[in-house]
Amino acid sequence: MRSSLRRTRWATALAATTVLALGACSDDGDGAESTDDPIVVGISLPLTGDFSEPGKGVQEGYEAWAKITNDKGGLLGRQIELKILDDQSNADRVVADYEQLIGSDKVDLVVGPFSTRLVVPSARVAEEYGMLFVEPAGAAKEVFEQGFKNLFYAAPAVANDHYNHLAEYLIAMPADQRPKTVAYAAMDDPFAQGTAYGLKAKLEAAGFKTVVDEVYPPNTTDFGSIAAKIAASKADMLVGGSQYQDGVNLIVALQQLSYQPKLAAFSGAPTNPEFAKAIGDKTEGVLSPTGYTPGAPYESNKEFVEKFKAQFGKEPEEDQANAYTTGQVVAAAVTAAGCAEQGDCQKKLVDWVHANKVETVVGPLTWDAAGKPQGAHMIQQWLGGSIKIVLPAPVKEADLLYPKPAW
Amino acid sequence: MPSAGLVFQSVILGLLLGGLYALLAAGLTLYFGIMRVVMIAHSAFLILAAYLAWWSHERLGTDPLLSMIVTVPLFFGAGVLLQRLLLSRLRPITLTMMSVLLTFAVALIIEGLLGYAFTGTQRRIQLSYGSASIGLFGARIAVVKLIAFGLAVVALGGLYLLMKKTTFGWALRATIQHGDAARLVGIDTGKVAGYGFGLGLATAAVGGTALSLDTTIYPSLHWHWIGPLMAIIVVGGLGSVPGAAAAAVLLGLMQSLLQIPMGTTWAQTIFYLALFATLAFRPQGFFGGRLAQRF
Amino acid sequence: MPSASRRVLTGLGLAALAAAVLSFPSLAPNPYILSAGIVVLNFAVLSTSWNFVGGFTGYISLGHGALAGLGGYGTALLITRAGLPSFVALAVATLLVAALAVPIGLAALRVRGASFVIVSIALVLILLLVFQSWAAVTGGSRGLVVPRPFPGLLRPEHHRVFYYLFAALLALALLAWWLIDRSRFGLGLKAIREDEDKAEAIGTPTLAYKLIVFVVSAGFTALAGGLYALWFGDLDPVFQFSILTGSYLVLMALLGGVRNLFGPFTGALIVGVALEYFKGRFGNTPLHLVWTGVLLGVVVMFMPDGILPALGGLWRRLRRAEQSSIREVTAAELREEREREEARQ
Repeated sequence: MRSSLRRTRWATALAATTVLALGACSDDGDGAESTDDPIVVGISLPLTGDFSEPGKGVQEGYEAWAKITNDKGGLLGRQIELKILDDQSNADRVVADYEQLIGSDKVDLVVGPFSTRLVVPSARVAEEYGMLFVEPAGAAKEVFEQGFKNLFYAAPAVANDHYNHLAEYLIAMPADQRPKTVAYAAMDDPFAQGTAYGLKAKLEAAGFKTVVDEVYPPNTTDFGSIAAKIAASKADMLVGGSQYQDGVNLIVALQQLSYQPKLAAFSGAPTNPEFAKAIGDKTEGVLSPTGYTPGAPYESNKEFVEKFKAQFGKEPEEDQANAYTTGQVVAAAVTAAGCAEQGDCQKKLVDWVHANKVETVVGPLTWDAAGKPQGAHMIQQWLGGSIKIVLPAPVKEADLLYPKPAW
Repeated sequence: MPSAGLVFQSVILGLLLGGLYALLAAGLTLYFGIMRVVMIAHSAFLILAAYLAWWSHERLGTDPLLSMIVTVPLFFGAGVLLQRLLLSRLRPITLTMMSVLLTFAVALIIEGLLGYAFTGTQRRIQLSYGSASIGLFGARIAVVKLIAFGLAVVALGGLYLLMKKTTFGWALRATIQHGDAARLVGIDTGKVAGYGFGLGLATAAVGGTALSLDTTIYPSLHWHWIGPLMAIIVVGGLGSVPGAAAAAVLLGLMQSLLQIPMGTTWAQTIFYLALFATLAFRPQGFFGGRLAQRF
Repeated sequence: MPSASRRVLTGLGLAALAAAVLSFPSLAPNPYILSAGIVVLNFAVLSTSWNFVGGFTGYISLGHGALAGLGGYGTALLITRAGLPSFVALAVATLLVAALAVPIGLAALRVRGASFVIVSIALVLILLLVFQSWAAVTGGSRGLVVPRPFPGLLRPEHHRVFYYLFAALLALALLAWWLIDRSRFGLGLKAIREDEDKAEAIGTPTLAYKLIVFVVSAGFTALAGGLYALWFGDLDPVFQFSILTGSYLVLMALLGGVRNLFGPFTGALIVGVALEYFKGRFGNTPLHLVWTGVLLGVVVMFMPDGILPALGGLWRRLRRAEQSSIREVTAAELREEREREEARQ
């Protein structure tokens, strides 16, 4: 009994110390804001873990936005300071991060994290603290079904609408020419699956026959069996709801089985700069939807591409553009409302974004009451060694090639 | 409903996959046989070897298979050290449980260091023959998968010969079967156990290289290999190398065939269902292996 | 020391501990610190629940994360699908998981050591697959939203309420552990830990004992998981069914000391703070995994009995006068010591 008593004492001492240590860790940000103070923007990003690679693009986009804005004198005459925390690709952490940013670090603004899976939990924190929450990555339709009032997705379209132009094009084709059977393979991820299933719903309604409908977990590395199923179905058209590497793996596995579709569309992979090399330069005719191209004619885009190249030495891609767009939306709201701090100001910002159109690098954006953007994605196709816009007709750089050559 | 062609193709894919499973499970079986250790870090070493193969291809431009010249001896040495310096120092009475935690810690360290060195980006070796395949009665066999399977067969065959035909193999088998008796006839069981561990880890080097030829790798991938491999060694009968090999091929085949009606995710559950069924109805495993009853 | 004053001191110690835990919400300067406190308490409950199996029987389960996940999903599904009130759903889910623990326990506990660990790992992985694939019911990768039990509460108030709920649950789990520790049943379990064959030989119904304590452990784990789901509000199979969560629980219990009532709680405090520290210290590199691994390795290699016994030993050495009261050494420990000596030779 004696020893257990001592243990108790130790435990008590330890608990007390920890309580004090935890308490001491937090710095109480003083509420008084002078105009010289920077505007602190809090972000949680997956700097490590499974989403860390695509998360980097978002980080670059935010950094580019802060730099470009600051070089022009900042917002409301104040400099922008980014405070980025690592969520380790984990939902528990992402919530703790926003909790810390809002409650402990007292940031003035928050913007969204990366990956749809993390957007809903973090948006709830922002919502419950009454913060404006513009986000670059939560494209799945479920995000907009949670009743959030402060959330806005800063891109032209949600995942299910990415292929809208392609669906219209295929449905408009003469019945004897269009592909009759379609195979779908999608990663079990709300975003990737959303793109493929958005197209599937539209094509099925128009009488295209679904012959394969495969969903694979994000950790899948061996695509042999999925490819075997697709190859055996001899589908005319292949739709991949993919991110990057899974799309490449599936294509290589299909090449190994000598499967040749007349049309192949993948959501994430083909826009990646390493795509061509990864599938042995047999890219001709591969389709992909995109919400952004560096060549887009919008006013702010020229500045973005130019300065992004100067900062990072490469062209921005969709993730970078979406993060930059997020910054543009927040900046527009802050400028219009004339304030950037926690409290009543946030309500003004939210109301402004609901009521107005914002000019961004991906075009003019407006949102419905749930924060869903009201646009569609362009469709690109690999032609002669580079990727070109083929749909919709008014902005196309080339004609859509059908059927696609063998890979 | 599935065509005969698809079934045949799936059988081929399943057998090729099963071969790789067999090689990887062989290492785990060795550790368990030698000192009742469940080696969680085995698949982390597997991914490490795959990364080294990828890295040598990326940096030096050599064929990934050549990386084995370095990784196999390196892993053998690491295995010996792991056994001699860490595992043999654990208390015998809690060895099985504590070794799980210790090797778990090793797996975490490897994963963290891989992430630190190579980031979380998914990697894949781009080979000129990556998408090449040969035909067989209407089915296609990818060249890279065939090479991986060949590596597994050669390594397993080598292991078999080593165990059956050499003095070291004799001593190793004696240590596995009855450690005390082996000591009595003058075998230095401590040393033999260390080399046995090295041997097990060397199979991870071969397996990792085979793996790197045709799949994507990333630091946290090892978690997805642990489960199936653990299931295989239990179904095969803990401690029995041929049993594990038979279970590996059978389960690989079943996984591949079940994917046709059930899809990728559900098909993976076969490993765990087989594991639970084995423990419920035949705890000693379905393919011999008498150790399992008590462990 | 006479037993009366010992009891008074124990009482004072407990009161101080309770006061420290209960006053934390008013000391916490902002809701973030309060939510961090909830995370630590949740870990403490989970780890103490794990210790019913780990501490008493010596069976190490890496799968308790799965039981917590089941509790969370069970609670959420009973609210959203069956329309039960939140805390009724929590109770029903706990009972369901405890019932499910019977067949799981029967499969896992019939075999010893290695197979038990393997089954516990397999449990996490198979549940991950099922909850991912069975999207029609579980929401799959789209996640599952758990309705708030107190919809009117502001977020900081919500944290405060759940902090006290978790503290109450921790007290309950500690009480149960303490009662078993002092009971005949506990004695039987410890006999299993020391030597299962001998325990069986002297007539301990080993399988029944192990099963009962496994079910109790699963029940507490599910309760904690369900409460966490009610607090957190979002479930995703990838994060609910993770081996890493299970391993953290083991690390905490082992670090604090599995034979001590307050061992897992102490471990949860240390690991909870350490995880925060690693994250802050190593920011955007995965080195925090390396250091977690190193910490686990060091604990396993150098202080498998945990930090509380180690500190207790230090305390005794400092107070030389009491050297005669060194903790009794069990036969098993002596044998172990001897075997270790032999192994060195």
